Amino acid sequence: MNLSIRGFLKSAALLALAACALAPVAGLARAATDTDQWIHIRVTSKDAKGEVVRINVPIELAAKVLPAINKDQLHDGKVRIDSAHMEDVDLRVILDAVRTAKDGEYVTVQSNENNVRVSKSNGVLYIYVTDKEHAKKAAKEDAAKGAKASEAVETKVEIKVPMKVVDALFSAGKDELDLVAALRALSAHGDTELVTVKDAENDVHIWIDSKNTAE
Amino acid sequence: MLVLGKVALGLGATLAMCTAYVFHEGVIRVDVDEHHRGGEHVHFWVPATTVSAGMRLARLAPQHPLEQAAEQVKPYLPVLRTLAKELQKYPDAEFIDVTDPEQHVHIATVNGKLQIDVSGDDETVHVQVPVETLMDVADRFEDAARSAREEDWRVGHAKHSAVFDSE
Repeated sequence: MNLSIRGFLKSAALLALAACALAPVAGLARAATDTDQWIHIRVTSKDAKGEVVRINVPIELAAKVLPAINKDQLHDGKVRIDSAHMEDVDLRVILDAVRTAKDGEYVTVQSNENNVRVSKSNGVLYIYVTDKEHAKKAAKEDAAKGAKASEAVETKVEIKVPMKVVDALFSAGKDELDLVAALRALSAHGDTELVTVKDAENDVHIWIDSKNTAE
Repeated sequence: MLVLGKVALGLGATLAMCTAYVFHEGVIRVDVDEHHRGGEHVHFWVPATTVSAGMRLARLAPQHPLEQAAEQVKPYLPVLRTLAKELQKYPDAEFIDVTDPEQHVHIATVNGKLQIDVSGDDETVHVQVPVETLMDVADRFEDAARSAREEDWRVGHAKHSAVFDSE
């Protein structure tokens, strides 16, 4: 009897050892810490269907996966810009001028079609664009159809980019944007709003924080 | 009696170890429900280890189907590998959620498994795959691609040698 108990205990010990040895490796993998930064994208459609798209991507994951994608203009986490589309504008020189300039409002355009405001404050570049043309076109289309004019909604775009991110983006060299470097710079910057677009059809919101779920 | 007991214990221990090994990577679960009349309902789960084992067995098939498949997916293998490796760091996270009146798509990791849920008026699909299995799949495809390359090199070398010898 004693022998069989001892045998049972031996087997049980063996089983426990095996179970520990074969425990899923995934459970032992390093879990993301709370300090990991996430990019959140939320697109809310204003039409009757009310489509909502929420995308949450860890910046670290994006920074690791991007270099593995080699397709079209994207190689090694860098996007090649077609210089033909730059129309002889040297973005690097412009950005250098903006970086070294003092905080303030650089561009202010107010017209019947658009309002554009570009400013820099505390190392962050702000771009505000209000497109009035879209609302006018919609009103004209409504009038042509004989329909009651719908509420004219201007397209408002607000972009907020830390200058360090812009620097990192243009750090790759001529005609290239270094997306991975920009992502790492974004991650280091902490929680921030990046892009807000509001128009008649959609609301787009892109921001960064340390939560792994959208708001 | 004592011998029988020992044999039973040995068999039990072996069975338990085999079960532990088969399930150590978790389970792949697939549920498909079509909501129309006569629609199909597919529900199955398989141990994730069988995918890796199945892919190893597929390499022995005479037509080399895995090598052919590996050639086709080769450009995407680095992405799959990196994605699977990185996803292990996010065992519980929501990645994509799309909601419209007709359907709801949800992609997340739950307890270290990649979970894809699509709920629509026509059908509902739920797929759950351990992230580790994605790594295994990438490994098996890379092995297959490598062996296909080696085979090509061997064939080319043999042809070259034959030409050289005949000269």
